[in-house]
Amino acid sequence: MFKKPTLTTTLIVIVGFLTLCPVIMLLLGSFSQDFVSFGQFTTVKYVEAYTDPDFAAILWNTVIFTVGSALVATLLALFLAYVNTRTDLPFKFIFKVIAIVPMMIPHILFSVSWVLLLNPSNGTLNRLLMDLFGLKDALFDIYTLPGMILVEGLLDLPIAYLIIAPAMSAFDVSLEESSKVCGASNLRTLMRVTLPVLRPAILASAILVIVRSLASFAVPSVIGMPGRIYVLSTHIYRNIASGFAADFGKAAAIGMSALAASITLIYIYRYLTSESGKFVTISSRGFKPTLIKLKNAKYPLFVIVGILSFVLIVLPVMVLFYTSMLPYSMVPSAKAFSMMSWNNWVEVLKDPISLLSLKNSLFLGVVGATIGTTLSIFVSYVIVKIRSTASGILESLSFLSFSFPGIVIGVGFMWFFVRTPIYGTLTALLIGYIATYLPYGIRPISSAFVQIHSHLEESSRVCGAGPFYTMRRIVIPLLIPGIVSGWILMASMFLRELTLSVVLSRPGTEVLAVQILHFAEDGLWGKLSALGIIMIFISSLLVILAAVLGNKLTKMEVVNK
Amino acid sequence: MEIRIKGLTRHYYSEGKQIKALDGVDLTIPANKIFTLLGPSGCGKTTLLRCIVGLETPDAGEIYIGDDLVWSSEKGIFVPPENRGLGMVFQTYAIWPHMNVFDNVAYPLQTSKTPKDKIRQQVAKALKFVQLDGFENRPATKLSGGQQQRVALARALVAEPKVILFDEPLSNLDAKLREETRKELRSFLTELKITAIYVTHDRIEALALSDLIAVMRSGKIIEIGDPKKIYFNSDDKFVADFIGRANLIKGKVEKLDGEHAIFASEIGSIVALNSQKIPVGQNAMLCVRPEFIRLAPEQAAEGQNIFSGKMESLIFIGEAYEGEIRIGETLLTTTIEPTENIVEGDTIFISFDPDHCFLLST
Repeated sequence: MFKKPTLTTTLIVIVGFLTLCPVIMLLLGSFSQDFVSFGQFTTVKYVEAYTDPDFAAILWNTVIFTVGSALVATLLALFLAYVNTRTDLPFKFIFKVIAIVPMMIPHILFSVSWVLLLNPSNGTLNRLLMDLFGLKDALFDIYTLPGMILVEGLLDLPIAYLIIAPAMSAFDVSLEESSKVCGASNLRTLMRVTLPVLRPAILASAILVIVRSLASFAVPSVIGMPGRIYVLSTHIYRNIASGFAADFGKAAAIGMSALAASITLIYIYRYLTSESGKFVTISSRGFKPTLIKLKNAKYPLFVIVGILSFVLIVLPVMVLFYTSMLPYSMVPSAKAFSMMSWNNWVEVLKDPISLLSLKNSLFLGVVGATIGTTLSIFVSYVIVKIRSTASGILESLSFLSFSFPGIVIGVGFMWFFVRTPIYGTLTALLIGYIATYLPYGIRPISSAFVQIHSHLEESSRVCGAGPFYTMRRIVIPLLIPGIVSGWILMASMFLRELTLSVVLSRPGTEVLAVQILHFAEDGLWGKLSALGIIMIFISSLLVILAAVLGNKLTKMEVVNK
Repeated sequence: MEIRIKGLTRHYYSEGKQIKALDGVDLTIPANKIFTLLGPSGCGKTTLLRCIVGLETPDAGEIYIGDDLVWSSEKGIFVPPENRGLGMVFQTYAIWPHMNVFDNVAYPLQTSKTPKDKIRQQVAKALKFVQLDGFENRPATKLSGGQQQRVALARALVAEPKVILFDEPLSNLDAKLREETRKELRSFLTELKITAIYVTHDRIEALALSDLIAVMRSGKIIEIGDPKKIYFNSDDKFVADFIGRANLIKGKVEKLDGEHAIFASEIGSIVALNSQKIPVGQNAMLCVRPEFIRLAPEQAAEGQNIFSGKMESLIFIGEAYEGEIRIGETLLTTTIEPTENIVEGDTIFISFDPDHCFLLST
């Protein structure tokens, strides 16, 4: 069908360019004075970056922020996974919702909603509590490290849950049963057997959350910067966003250490996940674990889980919608409700830059996901079906960008794009997006390819079908679910993209998340919320539409008699 | 339909080393027989099967299906699998998960643009044949292992091919189901006038199913024969050992006596079948299967093929005892009636039936 060696080589060149170009340019850029003198070797930017008296504090903040978030996310995930797989808690569908739905709410909006609730001057929740208890000062201040950790931890909870829950349910229950036979209580079994056996999964989840929060920009920018708490990502941003004094050399030099830390952590993560295969014994006997009867603890636990899912899903959307209807922040009251109007919505929809950003993000989402998915199909085909040294190289290349913090990659790409005519165009953003989020497309599609055992194709051939008929009736229908979920994932990632865009987006190429960040910086919470709700609506619509489409396409084969 | 294979060769390269998966195989598979390729894993049996179907291309040789030349390296002929008109059951069954049972079975007919009425008829007939009538609308993912196996068989048969091929089709079933399906398959295949080529590494499957067995090793066919010939009187030491449990005793041919020979072995003189006509004075190997070593009454201690030995171990396995008897340095495995009254350490007498121990050249 294809000339296989050439296909592999072509893909290695494309993917290699996408993943290695920003890294190499970042490295070269970090040793340059500025864009103009690119290539003239100097270490001055490293000296500047690392002798900065603030740098130690920023590093310390980063460590506290990332480790703290990992702790919050992993502990919560562990609790939820345990309650879900091991207890008889009612309404278990809620766990599926907790694991998936927060992905629909962009991180920047989630962060904003917490600012709206808990900022010290007029946070809705703060004001409510002050009125309730007659306090003079706000109870909570979101603009602190603990505030950042809480929000980032909640944001990364789904990721941690998706790693820990499968390990928990794949756990061989006889290990626990034998502990109980030996006379240990439920709690003792949990502490002495369950948790130690799950250690690799727990560590893996913690490390992945550290990597994510290291790359996180939404929380540090929306919550950290107003409180003057800088971490690596906002420190890099500060160096390139300060108007005419933008220093991309220093940003690159700082970026190198974020990149190195991230790659090291991902390396450890991969090591742990390959080890965990040996550790967690998967029972093939298919016994369901006996559920622990919660009895009296059932309802308190259920309330906790309920509050958690409310806080994760309902509250952010509610707060945003509420804010979007009001001229300025106020506590819910009769007066507030009487002042509600669609003014913010009308203003946003008349605002040319907001409309442009909406148009740009839609374009990037649809076109980017389509190109990204197409590339992912070919890459997955080579990775799964052609097993050679070259396809191994392609596989490592295509998952490499997973460990790159977006803002750092953005700086790297900037060093490249300023030397090309596509600087400041949507194409630049498109290339950056695809390079950064390629693994999100490849993963679902390659697992769909894995599912197609070669016998399924071969038996079609023996049944008298030629290669194209086999492609049409066997391979494509089996691939479609993977392609659709790859497309959805990429499109919703692109629609909300922030970290890369804050670097690459220029006047004329504004995107939704960047526009929302500008609104936040200017304190235009009403407009921000209106645009945010539109953003959530579009991304949810996209997900639903694509799911319905995928369902139709897979069913067609069955109906097609 | 007869299948003829000439000088078929297939090489692999693995870690820089050349592996001969097929090493000049010459073979004629007679029409309308159940023909089994038997051998240990890696012997080339599956490669041979896949070359016949056309899923793999050999490096050299010729393959005829009936009178059609479907592969020839010399004449540059390669008929792709879809044009060879064969049926095949895969080891994984290869049931397409996105289709229901009807579509899976109808597929070979749909590819040949058969009219819809005819398709419905043929599918119903095939499903009835494998006793799955009424399963048409069942999604493929809602089938048990045994049912999937039957759907695969119905799909292979629906276009009424002249040849059907099986690649270890029972190896994914559990022991009990495997036994039942084996019996069914045997009755299905004898009912049809069809050439069946069956690949397996399981000797009991091969013995129970086949009209003819070809034993393969390292890319070569070592011996072809009907199951009884292969089991009772194989020509090859490897085959004799592979097809069943065997005691192999070293020695030398002493005297010829018609079909039999007198064999001087490490445990004494034994009268044995000598169908290979191994000449006097030559070293050889005597093969006797455990079930043909019988306990002899004590008073017959002086007769032909009778030896005394010590019961070294005795394990009760339900239908029999599995015992080891020591005669001098030699240890023989044997199966003993479960009702016999002996214990470990007893001195006992055993006899070999001259017609059920046979000589193999070394």
